[in-house]
Amino acid sequence: MALPNTHTPIKAVSRVRLGYGVLLVIIAIFGVRLFYVQVIRYNHYKTAALSDQLKQYEIPATRGVIKASDNGQLVPIVLNQKLYTLYGDPSYIKNLDKTANQLSAITGGTATKYAALLKTKDTRYVVLAKKLTPEQKDKIIKLKLPGIGTVAQDYRTYPQGTLAAQILGFVDDGGTGRYGLEEYFNKQLTGTPGSLKAITDINGIPLASSPSNTEVPAKKGDDIVTTLDLAMQQQVETTLKKGVEQSKASGGSAVIFDPKTGAVKAMANYPSYDPSQYFNVDNAQLFQNAAVSQPIEVGSTMKTLTTAAALDQGVITPNTTYYDPSHWTVDQFNITNIEEDGGAGTKSIADILNLSLNTGATWELMQMGGGQINLKARTAWYDYMTNHYRLGKATGIEQGYEADGYIPTPKDNGAGINLTYANTAFGQALTATPIQMAAALGAVVNGGTYYQPTLIAQTIDSSGKVSNRAPKVLEKNAVSPAVTQAILPILDYVVQKHNFYPGFDHSKYLVGGKTGTAQIAKPGGGYYDELFNGTYAGVVGGDSAQYVIVVFIEKPTNAGYAGTAAAQPVFGSIAHMLIDESLVTPKTH
Amino acid sequence: MRPQTTRRRARPQPTVKTTLGRKHRPDYFLLVICAALLAIGLVVVFAISPALSQAAKVSSSYFVSRQLLAIGLAIIAFIATAQIPLRVWKGLAIPMLLFAGFATIVALLMPVNPAYPAHRWVRLGSFSFQSVELVKFAALLAVAGFFASRIDDDSINDWQKTIKPLLLGVLIAGVLIAGPQKLHAQSDLGSMAVLIALVGAMCFVAGFQMKRILLGAAVLAILVVMVILPSAYRRERLATFVHPESNCQDAGYQACQALIAVGSGGMAGLGLGRSVQAYGYLPEAANDSIFAIYAEKFGFIGSVMLLGLLAALFSRLKTIAERAPDNFSRLLTCGVLAWLSVQSIINIGAMLGLLPLKGITLPLVSYGGTSVVFVAAAIGLVFQVSKYTSFSAPLAVDNQEQGRQSNDNRHDGRRLRGAYHPDLSGRR
Repeated sequence: MALPNTHTPIKAVSRVRLGYGVLLVIIAIFGVRLFYVQVIRYNHYKTAALSDQLKQYEIPATRGVIKASDNGQLVPIVLNQKLYTLYGDPSYIKNLDKTANQLSAITGGTATKYAALLKTKDTRYVVLAKKLTPEQKDKIIKLKLPGIGTVAQDYRTYPQGTLAAQILGFVDDGGTGRYGLEEYFNKQLTGTPGSLKAITDINGIPLASSPSNTEVPAKKGDDIVTTLDLAMQQQVETTLKKGVEQSKASGGSAVIFDPKTGAVKAMANYPSYDPSQYFNVDNAQLFQNAAVSQPIEVGSTMKTLTTAAALDQGVITPNTTYYDPSHWTVDQFNITNIEEDGGAGTKSIADILNLSLNTGATWELMQMGGGQINLKARTAWYDYMTNHYRLGKATGIEQGYEADGYIPTPKDNGAGINLTYANTAFGQALTATPIQMAAALGAVVNGGTYYQPTLIAQTIDSSGKVSNRAPKVLEKNAVSPAVTQAILPILDYVVQKHNFYPGFDHSKYLVGGKTGTAQIAKPGGGYYDELFNGTYAGVVGGDSAQYVIVVFIEKPTNAGYAGTAAAQPVFGSIAHMLIDESLVTPKTH
Repeated sequence: MRPQTTRRRARPQPTVKTTLGRKHRPDYFLLVICAALLAIGLVVVFAISPALSQAAKVSSSYFVSRQLLAIGLAIIAFIATAQIPLRVWKGLAIPMLLFAGFATIVALLMPVNPAYPAHRWVRLGSFSFQSVELVKFAALLAVAGFFASRIDDDSINDWQKTIKPLLLGVLIAGVLIAGPQKLHAQSDLGSMAVLIALVGAMCFVAGFQMKRILLGAAVLAILVVMVILPSAYRRERLATFVHPESNCQDAGYQACQALIAVGSGGMAGLGLGRSVQAYGYLPEAANDSIFAIYAEKFGFIGSVMLLGLLAALFSRLKTIAERAPDNFSRLLTCGVLAWLSVQSIINIGAMLGLLPLKGITLPLVSYGGTSVVFVAAAIGLVFQVSKYTSFSAPLAVDNQEQGRQSNDNRHDGRRLRGAYHPDLSGRR
């Protein structure tokens, strides 16, 4: 061999040193590299780290609640409730059948369904059950089943059940308000979501103690206090339901309206739905508040407004009498009355409303034109309908899907405009919703001020600040106060002359109103012979009108005129309820 | 086996023999450094335990208690290798090597842990160990013994007697550890690199001709190219290494996240409890990537201190190798030095984006029982050597070459001023 062994130790030592030298050079290179990466390029890597690690989360805001007044107290009618969604991660499930059985024992669900879901491939998240109660959730958490978890979600809950469902609307699965107040005030109720910027682990779960975490707390949505009176709303709903059933009608609406503020004290439709079960409703029509969204030809209840308009124009006085021929010919068509009109003869203004004279209402329209239906009459009446009574346009009440209704224009269209206008004088050939009628009648009976109908008394923001909604005047001089003074006794007289069981103590209370039996237009033109809508528009009060009550009953099938047989009893019950519950201030003289 | 038969042959012993009897205080500083490295690893594992246990769905004390158990076993292994005489270990080398080979074959036949397709694990009930660590330990003793006997009979550069058996052994190891991916496991190139470095360092120190060493290195380089080029997976790894940040989503993910961890540590680090990368971003946070997590926590200052600690460890091993009383213990110490240093360099180099990721641990610091136990055992052997260190060995046998001697004397004389062995003072 080339090298003798005695050289080895020396060579070994020098080679060890050589190797060690190389080692030190590498370590020095590492040190330089560390300086480059950690000090010189620090900002680059810090930015890269944060772009991975820093995530932003939305903190959902608690939705505001909706309240109503009950005997002077505010009580919630829509609340939030934390319920739990049960989910599983199929990749973690051990002992599938046992897991499914234990879960179904608590939730009441089907074990086989759970087992099938938990076998799903290629997913880490399957929803097993929704809306579990906190008790159910606690039981499930106690089981400590691997791969099973719960997540809290806010749900709307309705302490009053189905009460005012169509006014309230509901909140869908995605947290968006649908229909009613929930939709109209969705943004205000939702509040402002907060945000959490946090350093998280790779799964996006925030790490507790990072100085880089910043949290903007969520701002709770506003609470909404409605003008609804809980007791009245309950009574109206019950009464309406009974009325619709007794008259074998297809449905109906009823409104109690405060003419002095525009506040809606109660508003009901039948049929309605259960907002906690909104997903089981097949007919989306049910979600709509018909008292706001469904205009109909109002029939003879219109005569109150026609009479008030004629009085306000001064073309008639409360004491005017006239000769009623019991029929008019307008545009070659005959305008007649119902059989009980008492025949041709001298009639008073009160008779027009009491006997519900179509010819009387037509005569009033003629007076607006100086004795005949002409452009002047039409224009004057149109001005009253659309500007003084604000028919034909939405009231702006805080509900979605509000209908405008329809008022024909006075321009001569060459197709019997005078006949059309004669019809509008007694409530045909135009449409209006119950809320439009209530607000218009409210203006007539309160001295002439048209208040915008509203469902909102106040809103309360997250800091507790209360904002009252002031009554909003849309029309100052709908009619003169003298018209109110003239019309109220007539309406009271009409009620006295109609048979209410039980009757009212008219010495103590003002109870007045007018029925309507409206023909229903066929889709192709003309009217149905056998189908009518029954309507009623009345007032209850003492020295002044305190409540306006409007009742629509759709297609009643019991015997008698729809207005008298179907709508009037509902008005009567509501009026009695208000008096019996001492909600009406009696007359002082 | 050839080494054993040749060793029994009677032959004149060099002066080395006499120094072996002179036992003195061992190198306790070596122990202090190792204890510090173990403590650093344990502290980091403790600090990231919440993240680790959450991901692994085990109790929060799992990782620390496992590592404490490993350290306990490591202390036992250390005491055994430090106390039981080296000749006993030398005698056990071949049986251990055979057993390690057997264990590797068993591990190859066992289904692999899908998380570590390159690791050969032998599982016995709940206990498992990585056979490659035993291979390193046994190869260390076997090759040191083999080379020592070849130096003694002056045939260290003999093709037939030394180099052929050595190449055969390395070839067998290469097939088992880094061999074709026919069976369950992927090839463990990282461990193979450490093994080759360990053997290569001993070849170098044993006095292999320089041209042969250079030739071997060249052959290795060609082999590496041949291994990498046909494998798309390795080509990707190599491309990832060249431009780690170009491919952060797939192959380069771990390399990128390691650099992000190191870089975001900055000058002073985020603090002990503030590592974010450990929370699922950086794979193998406690094992292969522990240096990056450490660098994230303790910054440039802490990282340089850790490098300094490693340098101090290597410096102790170098000094012990220089002063080793005989060829066997010198080769042994050099093997340990090569083992620990190359493994550290591959590990840290990968975290710094200077070397491709190889999936091996940072000795003594990384979480993982097998590595800690066998590294401790290897250090125990060196610790035993440190009881017999002396300056006489290289000097006594080197009278023929005065020039080299004086050169070495100068070096040793300088180092003498800092000498810590009282029995060595005044020997000149």
